[in-house]
Amino acid sequence: MGLPAGTRNYSYAQDMAIFRTKTHWAMLLALLVILFTAPLYCGNYWLSVANLIGITIIAATGLNILTGYCGQLSIGHAGFIAVGAYTSAVLTSRLELSFLVGLIAAGFAAGLIGMIFGIPSLRVKGFYLAISTIAAQFIIIWVISHWTSVTGGFTGISVPPASIGGITFTSQASLFYLIMVITVLVVFLAKNLARTRAGRAFVAIRDNDLAAQVMGINLFRYKLLAFFIGCFLAGIAGSLLAHWIGFMSVEHFSIMDSILYIGMIIIGGLGTTIGPIFGVLFIRLLQQWITSYIVPGLEGIFTLPAGFATGIGPMVFGLAIILFLILEPRGLAHRWQLFKASYRLWPFSY
Amino acid sequence: MAELLQFVITGITVGMVYALIALGFVLVWKSSGVANLALGQLVLISSWFTYGMLVQAGLPLWLGLLLVILFALALGWVIERFILRPLIAQPILSLITVTLGLAFFIEGAVSFIWPKSVAALPRLFPQQPVHIGTAVVSQEYLWAAAISLILFGLLSLYFRYHKMGIAMRATADDQRAVQACGIPVTKIFSMSWMLACALAAIGGVLMSCIGGITFGLVHTGLKAFSVVILGGLNSFLGAIIAGPIIGLAENLGGGYLTPLTWPGVREVIPFIIIIIVMFLKPYGLFGEVRIERI
Repeated sequence: MGLPAGTRNYSYAQDMAIFRTKTHWAMLLALLVILFTAPLYCGNYWLSVANLIGITIIAATGLNILTGYCGQLSIGHAGFIAVGAYTSAVLTSRLELSFLVGLIAAGFAAGLIGMIFGIPSLRVKGFYLAISTIAAQFIIIWVISHWTSVTGGFTGISVPPASIGGITFTSQASLFYLIMVITVLVVFLAKNLARTRAGRAFVAIRDNDLAAQVMGINLFRYKLLAFFIGCFLAGIAGSLLAHWIGFMSVEHFSIMDSILYIGMIIIGGLGTTIGPIFGVLFIRLLQQWITSYIVPGLEGIFTLPAGFATGIGPMVFGLAIILFLILEPRGLAHRWQLFKASYRLWPFSY
Repeated sequence: MAELLQFVITGITVGMVYALIALGFVLVWKSSGVANLALGQLVLISSWFTYGMLVQAGLPLWLGLLLVILFALALGWVIERFILRPLIAQPILSLITVTLGLAFFIEGAVSFIWPKSVAALPRLFPQQPVHIGTAVVSQEYLWAAAISLILFGLLSLYFRYHKMGIAMRATADDQRAVQACGIPVTKIFSMSWMLACALAAIGGVLMSCIGGITFGLVHTGLKAFSVVILGGLNSFLGAIIAGPIIGLAENLGGGYLTPLTWPGVREVIPFIIIIIVMFLKPYGLFGEVRIERI
């Protein structure tokens, strides 16, 4: 961690501080002020993009705790998000419970389902675990799309807007505040989780789970805890997604979405807090750019083949995942570190 | 009774095709330690390529199928050379996720080139159904099983007697020793990828003769994962035995459980088997139990 010249740490608290100098605090405040005044100068379109990005950051942060910190690859993340989304949707629309109950219940439901499918991780890892999470994805989606009496099946289920204590979140701007507050909270908690006993245990398990066990880390407890936390955040994201869209159907949670979440944390940088944010911004903005600028722009000039609009997105994302893994496996977070270091040292590069 | 026989025959024959596709997976896993999660997409793209050759370009059967095999071999070579080779000796997480990226890319490419979602191949096999006892089975199933059996035979001869096949088995055993013997390991890797893609292509053509070309072919590839999980990741024999078991479970379960549960139970049975195997015997029926050292 590079500090500006002349800044020295004299105590443990100073050494552990995330925001060490006054400049850090000022920049944090500036970021928060810009973030929370965004509805004043952003149109509805960009607000809805920002809402989607916020929700995705929550989900990707969960996956990052599970895969990036604890090293347990999960290719069923969209399935766990679906559990959260449908729990919240069913509780608020069929049982007419309040939004907050739905939100918390969504987190716990997804977390518990995640723990059940995480049990094989105690005996297997790598490819075996990847396959069992793919299986989890398919089983979850199958149950949701066929349990018609509760989830509405293929026809979907409509979700009432979120409301907390008389305030109803219907406009994009009001939802923006709801989603961003939760996103900032989640990022803050994730950053600090990595520095607790559990976070250090996760990293030890990722680096070598056998060695971690020898050191006295309870693998059973911490692997399942990682699954619980990762899927809990997926559930929270799912609940927000349900109330943001207002209508849920299983098409939102395909296996391709699960792969895309993996791609986001790979592109952003595994095992860093800033990584998922970069990765989500990269993928979601690229998605927006392709669907609302590139495709219509090219359509104006050429007559495109019929499959262009649907095929170009997955091709670009797949290529991005492959290229990042080959050329920059540490992701955008590493580039950001390099940038910060060179900025701090400029004009002397040593 | 006729129903039961019917389910058993279709199950075993389809299961053999799953086993064929799964063999390609085992091949790559054994020789290079890469888990190829793009298997379903490889099946999908080669089926669509077959469609492109036989229907869109209107080529004669022999030329079209030859081109499909060549395409699959070329695809395997390109994948190994440009995607997997730069990642040799990277952690398993990268090796798994890079094939996921590949899966994403291929799926995009398929919907880019062939925007239709459903198509049918011309009939490769005679049309009239065969009566076996009381069951009526369309000929595609039997042909698929026969072709799979022939390929199993050819592959086992290849691994037993051909120089390259023996080198591949040796690579699976110990990469460094093989390198010390002067066998180019990277060549073995690309051979195994080419073979895997060719097997996926043949499996894809057989499956699309039975059920047409749909995105369901990706699921066929995913069912091949349940075959390798049940049979054991590094066992050819396991894949060949587990294939028909998965096919049987799928068809019998689909036939008899659908009235008891929800429709479409057939599609998730392989995945439920994966979860059960994971809980009971994670290294499969014939898989080697890895003992880890620090």
